[in-house]
Formats: sequence, structure tokens, C-alpha cells
Amino acid sequence: MKRNHEDTLRVGGVSSGYGVGGSRNSGGADLKGECSSMSSGKGKMWVEEPEAGGMDELLGALGYKVRSSDMADVAQKLEQLEMVMGTAQEDGISHLACDTVHYDPTDLYGWVQSMLTELNNSPNDPTELLGSNQIDGPLLAPAESSSIPNIDFENQSQIFSDDDLRAIPGMVACPQTDPDSENSQKRLRSSPIGSDSIPALPPSPSASNVSESTRPVVLVDSQEAGVRLVHTLMACAEAVQQNNLKLADTLVKHVGMLASSQAGAMRKVATYFAQALARRIYGIYPQETLDSSFSDMLHMHFYESSPYLKFAHFTANQAILEAFSGVNRVHVIDFGLKQGLQWPALIQALALRPGGPPIFRLTGIGPPQPDNSDALQQVGWKLAQLAETIGVQFEFRGYVCTSLADLDPTHLETRPGEAVAVNSVFELHRMLARPGAIEKVLNTIKVIKPQIVTIVEQEANHNGPVFLDRFTEALHYYSSLFDSLEGSAAGLSSPSQDLIMSELYLGRQICNVVACEERDRVERHEALAQWKTRMCSAGFDPVHLGSNAFKQASMLLALFAGGDGYRVEESNGCLMLGWHTRPLIATSAWKIPATE
Amino acid sequence: MVQPEEQEKRPKFSINDHLDILIEILKRLDGPSLGVAACVCRLWCALIRNDDSLWEHICFRHVSVPPPTSVRPVVAALGGYKRLYMGCVRPMLSRLGDSERVRKRVWTQHEVVELSLSLFCVDSYERLGGSGRLGGDASASSLKFLCKPVNV
Repeated sequence: MKRNHEDTLRVGGVSSGYGVGGSRNSGGADLKGECSSMSSGKGKMWVEEPEAGGMDELLGALGYKVRSSDMADVAQKLEQLEMVMGTAQEDGISHLACDTVHYDPTDLYGWVQSMLTELNNSPNDPTELLGSNQIDGPLLAPAESSSIPNIDFENQSQIFSDDDLRAIPGMVACPQTDPDSENSQKRLRSSPIGSDSIPALPPSPSASNVSESTRPVVLVDSQEAGVRLVHTLMACAEAVQQNNLKLADTLVKHVGMLASSQAGAMRKVATYFAQALARRIYGIYPQETLDSSFSDMLHMHFYESSPYLKFAHFTANQAILEAFSGVNRVHVIDFGLKQGLQWPALIQALALRPGGPPIFRLTGIGPPQPDNSDALQQVGWKLAQLAETIGVQFEFRGYVCTSLADLDPTHLETRPGEAVAVNSVFELHRMLARPGAIEKVLNTIKVIKPQIVTIVEQEANHNGPVFLDRFTEALHYYSSLFDSLEGSAAGLSSPSQDLIMSELYLGRQICNVVACEERDRVERHEALAQWKTRMCSAGFDPVHLGSNAFKQASMLLALFAGGDGYRVEESNGCLMLGWHTRPLIATSAWKIPATE
Repeated sequence: MVQPEEQEKRPKFSINDHLDILIEILKRLDGPSLGVAACVCRLWCALIRNDDSLWEHICFRHVSVPPPTSVRPVVAALGGYKRLYMGCVRPMLSRLGDSERVRKRVWTQHEVVELSLSLFCVDSYERLGGSGRLGGDASASSLKFLCKPVNV
């Protein structure tokens, strides 16, 4: 079984090189031949060490011919085999998954011990066997087998990259419990997947001193695999953080394999994160595509399949409506017009308000189009048609600029006697990529002197200085988000196009958060508290979103299948939409204090 | 719901001769019954299909305060009360009735109609087409989420 490295170097092809079924062949005794083909195939990422020629003595005593330098690969294959056996469903071998208990193959003493105690039927038996911790045998194996050659062949320890698996927090077989394992367990506390806490392992035993309380090993199940998946992702991110790209590469491939054993949201999240990590490791940074028709389409599907954008639009509209009450000429400046989906509802609400509709002016801001077509004008024309049908006087202006920081307030043509509203849905966080840009934008807003500024942003901190922290936060955030999408599609037999497109839409964000840096990393989400601080220090006062907005939002959420999972929360006048206990997006409204 | 035949003393009475009374009666039906009534005969079918005010009554049936007069032209422009009811109000009411959370809080029909108006408006906007972007891909699917099977 030779791995195709061409596959893994292909962008996004992290999980493609692994047929889990292929590992079945590795069970035989001919490990030597396979290992050498594997080690030669790994030439690209690993420094080619001269073949030591030394077979592992301990395994040799058992009749296996394995090179010490290949131990990591052996261990990995054993692990794969374990995975397959644990999940095999086909006839003939399904009993491997159901009826067998998997023992750690390197721990003969412990196995014999447990056999003996079973046979003796001592009263301690059940507690000993069942009360033992759920430890991953296969993952013990490589660590242990690696430690053995380390003890005996000290000069070969550098060939063997023991640090591969030592970096996996919580599963280390090294005697010291590293502080990482503590942290990783804390991080995982709020993880959506099952939280079997993996305790720090006892010191790796040599054959002579085994503590009975830690054996034997229990079946691998998918919940546990899910926890391992997260662990491996975190370990990979940590490796990237430490610039240990060799290790990171190994781990990211591991993730691909583990992810294939999962189902549903977790698999998709893991795959997207693995792809993004792979891009970061290989340095294949995605270009910031200006093809906005594609991203608009994804945006559209995301709008339709989940309540997030609708929530954003409806709550912002409610705030704008209330700010505009009693005014006859209104002007809305939309920082990201896209398809203009927010505005029909506002136009209709203005048409039906007591006292009749005002004269409504809309300025839509958008990026330049690669094909020079005027997308903004087309949207404006559609909105004008709608407004005419309903009977609202409407005027539209499109404003093209690459970045909001380039916005010139004098070009916006504010007219006297007009109430202005500034609306930004998921646009402001992009300004944090360039220093000074956000201050410039906020100043521009102040020059415009709006009645109200509505801001909708993701409720997460993906802009911390440390990569690993960002990665962890993003993992939790997008796991919740994908869960919610999965929840609302639960009633359907096959995933709809909307769902797939929405996931792709989110996947691009994930890629940006993880793989890009500096100017390219535009998905710099920050939490509501941070935005509040920023707005307050820029001189804005908060405006409370009323109970109408809350009621409408909660009604909207009740309409979505899976609606029981969505929650609207009110926090000091701001509304947050979340999935179960995790808030995901937040709407807030601001005004300039009157004394200014 | 047809007025029962009077005794033989009076001349035979047919409801179809008195459309105004018929409409008054039909106005008091609910959605499913209107659908059934539309299957009675061609006249009834035509009436129910074409008379939007019947559907207006259904939409605002339980609303205590009568809607402002400005609503009617807006709804008419967006596609009519029948479309509003069938596309938005009815699925919303059934979805809200199913949802567990609704049992804890009760939304008035008025609020339901308000929200459905907004959604209806977005839907009409999407159907406008005209720009190449939206037209080809989605056939006005903004209300699709209301039609999806609920995982009850």
C-alpha cells in the first residue's frame, strides 16, 4: 500500500488519499516490506534518514521484522486497523466491531493479567475491568513502542520522531503530564461532541511494572473517535503555531482519516478545518477571489437555509424603522448591499406605517465587479420596481469601492432635513485587517451624522494575537454553526443544495480565519463586548432594540425546522441569536449623542 | 353550510342566485373549508379563486383591530391575499402551532400576519427577476423554509 503524495499535495485533498479499507492488508506479518515502501514514499516531507538497518529487537523477539525507524508508521497502521475493526459493518468481519474487545497488543503483561483474573473470577473483576479508564490502546502503542527504542537505542532517537505523538495533548505516554493536557481538556469542555475526558496517562510501563488499574482497553467507538479528532486538530494547530510543519503535516493527514469515521456536522467541520490547516502548512494561500457572483450565490443560499441573515435583517430593520418614525425623508446607507435582501421588508414596513410612507433613499455600497458589470445598479433597479408597486417613493444610488475605509463622506450626498441610517451586516470586521481602517470608517460615520447605526456581527473572537487561540475559538464557533444547519435539515433525507452551499459559504470563512494572515485575513470576527468598547470609545451611544424586535425575531426562529435549538437573547439592549447555549450573531444599534 | 331548503310553501331558494349572501357565508369559513367549498361547483370555485376579499378575511380573522386601509393595496400589489395566505400565513400558523416553544408564548394573529407580510414581500422581490443573477438560479425560494417538512 503506497500512499499517493500527489493526492495530499493537491489543494483540499487532505482526506482523499486514505481508503480506510486499504489498511486491512497491514494485518499480516510482512510488515517489513510495507514499511519500507511507505518510508520511501514519504520522501517529500521527511528528511531522508539513512537506513539504520537495525531491526527493533523487542519485536524481533516476537517474530516481527520491523525497523526501528518505521515504528511510527507501524503504529499508525495498527491504529488504522483498529479503527476499521471497530467500525466494520460488512458480513464476515462485523463481529470484529461488535463482539470483540480490543486489547493493547504491546502490553502482554497486562493482557495476561486480565485473562488470569477473568479465569479466576475474583470479586474485584468487574470493577477492575469496567472501572478502568477508557484509554486508546492503539495510541498507547506507538508511544510505548517508541519509548522502548529510545531507552535502548539512544543514538537513534533523533531518527525516530517521537515528538509526533508526544504533542498530542492528553494522550501522551511520556511520564510527565504536560500542562497541555490540562488545557486541552478545558478547551473541550464546551465542545459539542461527547466529552469523555481523557485522563493523563500513567507513565509508560516497560514489561515489568504495570499497574493493573489502567488496563484493559475498550472498544473504539465513534464518540471517542470524535474526541480524538478534536484532540488531533488541536495538536495540529499547536504544531503549526510552533512552526513544526513536519509534525503538523502528519497530524493533518491523521485528521483526514479520523474525520471519515465521523458523521454529520462534526465530519464536515473537521474536514474544512483540516483543509484550511493543510493550506496553511503548504503555504497555498487562497486568493481573495473577487468573483462576487459566486459568493453572492452562496450568500443567497445561506440566507434561505438558515435564520441568521434573516434575523440580522429583521432586527436591524426594526431599529431603523423606530428611528425613522415621524420623519418624512429617510436615507439608508448600506455598507454591503449584495442582493439587497434586507430592504424589501423595510420598504414594506415603511409603506404600512401610520402616517404613510416617507421618501426613501438608499445608497448601496459594494465591491467593484471583475467583469465591470454594474451589479449595484441591477439590485437598485429591482428594489425600485418593488417600491413602485407598493407605492413608496424610492431613489437609489450605488457606490463602488474596494474597502469601506476608502469611503468619502462628501460623496454620499447627505441632504438637509433627511434622517440617515447606516447599516452594516457582517462588514465591519473586515476593516480590522488593516491598521487604522476601522477608525477611519467610524469617523466617516460620524461625519455623516446618522440617526442610527445598526451593526450585526459574529459573536466570536477570531482576532486574537495567538493563532492557537483563534483556531480553538473558531473550531467551537463553526461547530455550533454547522450543528445548527444540520439541525434544520434534519427532516430531509438527502442534503439539499441550500445546505451544501451554506456549508461552502461557511467553509470559505473557516479557510480565511485559519489559513490567511495579515491583510488577507479579513474574517476578523470580534465579540459584542469588544465592538461595544470600540463604539463607545469612538463616541457612540447605544440604542436599545425594542421588544418588538425581540418578539419578531423569536417568531421568526420558531418557523425554522429545528427551531427549538435557536435562541434569541437580549443583552443590554442588543439581541443575540444562538444555537442552544452558544450565541452566534449579535445585533446592536448606536447613535451619536445629541450634545455633539 | 348551504342554507337548507325552505318549505314547499315558498318558491325554491337557491343560494347561487344570491351571490352576496353566499359571499357573506364564505367569508366566515376557514382556509381548509374554503378549499372544500371550492370543489362544490364551478361558480363557487370561480368565486373563491377570484375574490381576494374572502382571503383577506381569513388573514385578519382573529385580529382584533382592523388593519389599516393602506394594507390592502400593498398586498394586492405584491400578489394578493390568497397568495399571502397560502404561501405565508397558513404554513406559519401550522408551523407555529407545532413548535414547542409556542405553547409557552402566544403570538397574536396580528403579529403573525405582520411577519408573514414581510416574508411575502421578500419573496415577491425575489420573483421580480429582471437581473440575471437571481433569476436563473433560485425560483423565489425565500419561502422554501416554510415548506420544508418539519422534524416534529
